[in-house]
Amino acid sequence: MIEAHSISKMYGRGVYALRDLSLRVDKGDFVFLTGPSGAGKSTLLRMLLRQDVPTEGQLVVGGRNLATLTANQVQSYRRSLGFVFQDFKLLPNKTVLENVAFVPRVLGMPMTQQQRRTFQVLKWVGLQHRMNAFPMELSGGEQQRIAIARSLVNDPIVILADEPTGNLDPDLSLEIMNLFREINARGTTVIVATHDRELIRRVGRRALTLDHGRIVEVA
Amino acid sequence: MRGVKYAFNEALASLMRGWRSAALAVLTIAAGLFVLGFSLVVNTNLQRIVGRWAEAAELSIFLRDDITREQLAAVDDVIAKSELAAERQYVSKKDAVKRFSEDFPDLAPTAESLELSPFPASFDVKLNQRARDADAAVDTLATTLSGTPGVADVRYDRRWLSRVNSAVRLVRGVALLVIVMLAVAAALTVANVVRLGAYARRDEIEIMQLVGAPFAYIRGPFVAEGLLQGGAGAILAMTLLWLVFLAGRARLGQLATEGLGVGLTFMPVGLWLLLLGGGMLLGCIGGLVVARSVR
Repeated sequence: MIEAHSISKMYGRGVYALRDLSLRVDKGDFVFLTGPSGAGKSTLLRMLLRQDVPTEGQLVVGGRNLATLTANQVQSYRRSLGFVFQDFKLLPNKTVLENVAFVPRVLGMPMTQQQRRTFQVLKWVGLQHRMNAFPMELSGGEQQRIAIARSLVNDPIVILADEPTGNLDPDLSLEIMNLFREINARGTTVIVATHDRELIRRVGRRALTLDHGRIVEVA
Repeated sequence: MRGVKYAFNEALASLMRGWRSAALAVLTIAAGLFVLGFSLVVNTNLQRIVGRWAEAAELSIFLRDDITREQLAAVDDVIAKSELAAERQYVSKKDAVKRFSEDFPDLAPTAESLELSPFPASFDVKLNQRARDADAAVDTLATTLSGTPGVADVRYDRRWLSRVNSAVRLVRGVALLVIVMLAVAAALTVANVVRLGAYARRDEIEIMQLVGAPFAYIRGPFVAEGLLQGGAGAILAMTLLWLVFLAGRARLGQLATEGLGVGLTFMPVGLWLLLLGGGMLLGCIGGLVVARSVR
């Protein structure tokens, strides 16, 4: 599903964010990327989102080399992904319903399908009763659940999450991880970048530890 | 279709959000198009006046008082052979007094009381279509007639009409320069207003890019925003122009009809639509400049 073949990312003169990194993630896997700040977790996620490309090596997803995709192919590729960020990236001037429906709307989904799918995912994360609230009226955990609902609304085959529990307390963090486990149980590949080793231990999935752009441990 | 609807909905929302800057862009476009429209209306009317005068343009050949019959026949012959005259009329000294009395009734008794007519006899030549398109040929004819014995003077209306035409062309050139400058200013203002809108929507745009929204959805609202601003500017400019025209016609209409022989007219509908399209195009260009920078 996802294969990285000796990928490196160099910024400026000799500064490597990733160095000769190889990995394989199969369909339906749940993988943690962990390591200290600056280890290269976010850079790898940025490349998987095709916001960046490796300076060396190949990153292949679903048989496609991401570096060679055209602008239209990038759009098409991104439609198969869901993303969750530490800062939620919810639109403050839109309600919960509008935030989630925003994705199918800008993907040109018919209105009835937009509404049905939005309501389904909101119900799934247990926040259908808050659909008319604005993000600022929600707790951090609720906001992250809305972000997860938004990432699921277009039925992605891979979910990428960058420090999704970075702003949450341990109980809420575990609650969010349980949501990811449920998503994964339905067959969606999940890749979560986090520096919270305790959380990884409690969830108990494959973890790749990065340091200075290299994988230094697989657990 | 959904994409177009989305683009216009977002554009309207963005314009409402930043209505002050949007109003500035609309006013700038309106100012540019108003100047353009105003110069077009002035030009349309000037062309009509000059055209009317050109139609009525005559060659007047004033004759010496001591002209002989043979010389008179020779002048007539030169005019006839030139093939530039649609009509020619001999006006005797007596007819000239009569014509003066008709044109200036208050002075008629004085003119008629004179023993000798102070006005020279003349030939009034109405030029044909061929002459209207051949200034050089008419000039040659005028020169030939000036040298013909018995001719005192030749007056050719089209000479000063040419000067009027040159002045009109100069005014049109200056107006065009101002219009181009205003058009560029309008497009830049729209681009800046749309850019402000893009900045306000940067989070939305980032999410759209991340979820793989089509470019039409990402860039469409910027183009639609420019289009709406341009259209609004054009409509505002045309409305103002129409009001100014109505006011101008109320004050000067009668004077123009009586003094210049033509009534004042607004621009044709085709030109009006062209200006509306031009305004939208200007806005579109401004929007596209921003849209192209969003990848």
